[in-house]
Amino acid sequence: MPLPDLHQQAETPFIYLNNAATSWPKPHEVIAEVTRCLSQPFAEAGRSAFFSAPDYPAETRELLAEFFCAEHPDRWVFTANATDSLNTLIHGFARRNDAPFHVVTTDLEHNSVLRPLHALERDGCLSYTVVPSGPDGRVDPCSIKKAVRPETRLVVMTHGSNVLGTVQDIRTVGEYLAVNDIFFVVDGSQTAGLVPLDLSQVSLDAFVFTGHKALYGMPGTGGFWIRDPTRVAITREGGTGTDSRTLSHPAGMPERFEAGTPNYPGIASLYAGLRFINRTGIDAIGAHDRRLTHLFTSELAGHRNIRLYSPDPDLPVISFNIAGIPPDDAGYILSRAFRIITRTGLHCAPLVHERIDKGTGCIRVSPGYFTTMDECRKAIAEICEVADSADP
Amino acid sequence: MRILRSVQSKVCVDGSLMKEFLIDESLTPEFLDFLEGFGTVRSFSHLRRPYFSFEKERFISIKGFMGDTSVEVRYRKEFADLTADFFHLLLFYYREGPTGIATLKGIETSIGQKMDVRQGGAAGAGHDRQEFV
Repeated sequence: MPLPDLHQQAETPFIYLNNAATSWPKPHEVIAEVTRCLSQPFAEAGRSAFFSAPDYPAETRELLAEFFCAEHPDRWVFTANATDSLNTLIHGFARRNDAPFHVVTTDLEHNSVLRPLHALERDGCLSYTVVPSGPDGRVDPCSIKKAVRPETRLVVMTHGSNVLGTVQDIRTVGEYLAVNDIFFVVDGSQTAGLVPLDLSQVSLDAFVFTGHKALYGMPGTGGFWIRDPTRVAITREGGTGTDSRTLSHPAGMPERFEAGTPNYPGIASLYAGLRFINRTGIDAIGAHDRRLTHLFTSELAGHRNIRLYSPDPDLPVISFNIAGIPPDDAGYILSRAFRIITRTGLHCAPLVHERIDKGTGCIRVSPGYFTTMDECRKAIAEICEVADSADP
Repeated sequence: MRILRSVQSKVCVDGSLMKEFLIDESLTPEFLDFLEGFGTVRSFSHLRRPYFSFEKERFISIKGFMGDTSVEVRYRKEFADLTADFFHLLLFYYREGPTGIATLKGIETSIGQKMDVRQGGAAGAGHDRQEFV
């Protein structure tokens, strides 16, 4: 498997283990496509008469529809990131439904879900129930069913935890919610590009993705797919390049949710990232990630001073603490003494940290497709060296 | 001990300010002893590169390695204007010896009182004073 050592070209080599935040390095073809995009005039139908460059938004929608087996490419909407997508969906859904209604979510959620729900609850638009995940880091679909009330209209849950690396059973949850006509939003920020997902086979109403993680795009890219756009109100109006005579924002897709000039270079990066995954194979990427993840969990689990919070994650996300060393200090030591890049803290998911570490936060290592086994072995040795000296 | 230059400065996502300073002498155990008079020092001397952190609640936190000539200093957003010079003052009064400690304690109390006023009372002041008087 060719694994370009892009990161070794840096002035002093470091080991990048923060792919769950933003994947790095990016494939060469992503960088090349962005360069190509910026090297010529933009060509998007409705916004430019230039004809010989790729229409990146249109072509990337086609790729997304094919990648996730969802018909109607126009139902893929580009946004600035997953947070932008979730805000659009949650606030748009709230505007479309009579207040107050009830929402079910989980303790694994990112603040991009929790904060919009909290703000809408504060404003009297809704109430919400947080379903706790189990000791294995997974939410029991039965717990979702139990939390549903007659006035429940919306369920928002993550597909993969950004702290525990566990993939949730959205299929079972979706089947139950579809029968009860409850709008189901799935946050795929951690899984899009890593976990195969066939949207034609799963009953969900909206799927949110971000571009800068496992889809290998640039930060500032993301979006969502929506089954029935009319169930979410328009929350942002502006130029779309279509129907410019009318002062009402167009209701058609995708411009219903896309106001303003899109992020062409970002979408070009997403286009190339998707092509990279198609060429490499999502299964090959997953197999590589699983090997690295297993190496970390098997080696760190046995250390007397290391507490792993998810011993068997589905995603390349390994969270732990070192006894006696606050996570922020451990992250600093790993970064400055050993040049190992991790992420420490609450990872914008405060509720799950309340359960696993009393809200102190933890260290998260997240290898990616371009991380090598040797890098992981070296990082494990350095983490263990720090832990060796940390007897509480 | 004095600052040669600020190597890096950035605003963190929580709004706090982080600055990395290059200083003209290596960090020593004696300097950590001095810091202990002003806040909590955590030291991991058994590491290949012995690490320490210093936390003075509401004021600043410091991270670094013994023997190094660079440190990372963080300032809380809400008091950054009051504490911007506190690391400089620590280095300056460290040089002064015991008389410096007394002087800096006075400055520390004064800054703490201003923080109390900003926080709307003395509720937050007791902790630091109890800890360090």
